[in-house]
Amino acid sequence: MSSPAIEFREVTKVYRKILRGLEVPALTHASFQVMPGEVCAFLGPNGAGKTTSINLLMGFFYADYGEIRVMGYEPGDVRAKRQIGFLPENFAFYKYLTAERLLRFHNALAGRRAQDAATVIPDLLTKVRLTGYERLRIGKYSRGMVQRLGVAQALLAEPELLVLDEPTSGLDPTGRKDVRDLLSALRTEGKTVFLSSHLLSEVEQICDRVIIISRGRVVKSGRMQDLLVAADRVEILVTGVTPELELKIQEQGGIIARGEAGVVITVGIAHKRETAESLWAAGMDVIHVMPVRNSLEELYMKTVGTEGGVA
Amino acid sequence: MRIGSLVLNTLESFLHNRLVALVLILAACVVLLMLVPLMGAKSATTAANQQGMEAAVLEMVSGVMSFVSALGSILAAWGAADALHSELKSGTVLAVMARPVKRWEFLLGKYLGVMAFMFCYVLVMMGMSYGLVAIAGMKIHAAPWILLVYPMVRYAIYAALGLVFGTLVHPVITMGMILALSLLTDFVGPGSFAWKPKLMWLKTGLYYLLPSTNLLTEGRFLSLRQAALKQATWLEHSITLGYGLDCAVILFVLAMWRFHYRSLRQD
Repeated sequence: MSSPAIEFREVTKVYRKILRGLEVPALTHASFQVMPGEVCAFLGPNGAGKTTSINLLMGFFYADYGEIRVMGYEPGDVRAKRQIGFLPENFAFYKYLTAERLLRFHNALAGRRAQDAATVIPDLLTKVRLTGYERLRIGKYSRGMVQRLGVAQALLAEPELLVLDEPTSGLDPTGRKDVRDLLSALRTEGKTVFLSSHLLSEVEQICDRVIIISRGRVVKSGRMQDLLVAADRVEILVTGVTPELELKIQEQGGIIARGEAGVVITVGIAHKRETAESLWAAGMDVIHVMPVRNSLEELYMKTVGTEGGVA
Repeated sequence: MRIGSLVLNTLESFLHNRLVALVLILAACVVLLMLVPLMGAKSATTAANQQGMEAAVLEMVSGVMSFVSALGSILAAWGAADALHSELKSGTVLAVMARPVKRWEFLLGKYLGVMAFMFCYVLVMMGMSYGLVAIAGMKIHAAPWILLVYPMVRYAIYAALGLVFGTLVHPVITMGMILALSLLTDFVGPGSFAWKPKLMWLKTGLYYLLPSTNLLTEGRFLSLRQAALKQATWLEHSITLGYGLDCAVILFVLAMWRFHYRSLRQD
């Protein structure tokens, strides 16, 4: 089995305001893993510790306790950074540069040849729909254009791991779809993506793995398909239902919905066998019995609720 | 290649820095204003008052050059502190440091970028020195390299000081600290006011500890008249410049150490 692309082991980070004598815990014994090739969503309310975790992972901050490994190296190690493409939250650029010059600058920082830039940069600008604006100063860009440029610079050095902090922030629906398509393409290419976002419906479509963090603690972590399965309810699809059975199911707290494919009966796990057998006995065809799948939003709200973070 | 890119980027950011541009324009205005009495003195010189007027002209040229030189020190310190602070404040440092760039490489790039800017400044300053002296109808007898190297080493110290404090506090506070340090250096230097005998140990200690740029004033060698030319041996130059470079390197290493362990967030 290959080693994780990202690994946090019992990581703790406390912000200290020495003059005010304040200590604000941002992360408390956070542990999680992201395997190579996974697209992982990193979710949590504002101030939960997402950006702190990303800053630790990138080597911008130092952890007070615990161990972090990125692509097998310590955070900040240039051998790890060679394999990472990073988009920070509220991406900031040198406003006096043009998109083309900024990408050339990053190309040089990535240690790549100037000749590579000549072919890669126009392709990237086309990919993020900035063709035609490459000679415009970034100071004149809209928020969405800056964000798209940020995505382009993150993809510049063909990274194996992409760390994206709110990649769709400031983007219009078309821009969001572009980023979503881009992430899907990256997944197909086998790249690892670590993504922080508040757009749960989009995350649900793209990601294989979810990590939910709240108040600096990892409160839920696992494969998306496993986490979204509700363990307490099942969905039974049948060709029809008798009025007596309908009444009985409703008395047991079941929900009945009629659709084109048949009747969908949602019952608690305790009544699964009994309901299915009653339906068979009444001469109905049971087409399938499946666990109910929650939406990511439901899972998130159930896990985090309305609480906010601390840092 | 990485450091070179950072140097060019820092230099370019200076050229787009409105505050730096404003200071340079104001300085140019002040220099032009100071030229008025110089030209007046020159035109009023007669055979009868030649000696006295020459002395006055020399004084004026010296004043202009001291002003320009001091402004360079401020620019070097401010430039270094601001180059770092603006990256941290705007967050541009995050995208840069996400690249395979080591922290010391980033800081060295910033430092050399500031020094590249100061090199341009020194070239202009040199041109101005020769120009002013020519207007005054005199000649500089010191070797041109002195006018180039001495201020560069002095500015290297100020830029490194700016980086050291810039890794800790806001550039405005940095400038205050550097000003305080400069004053303190003057108070402990030779020829300063008399300290109480029981505090002489403190004065001597501070004199050896604090970076002094007094030795690195090119004015020591800037002579307008052959009679006043002060000769110095290569050994003297080497020791003086070596002292300055040593100070700059120590301060830069301190800045590097501090920058290595700090978070890349402006608190």
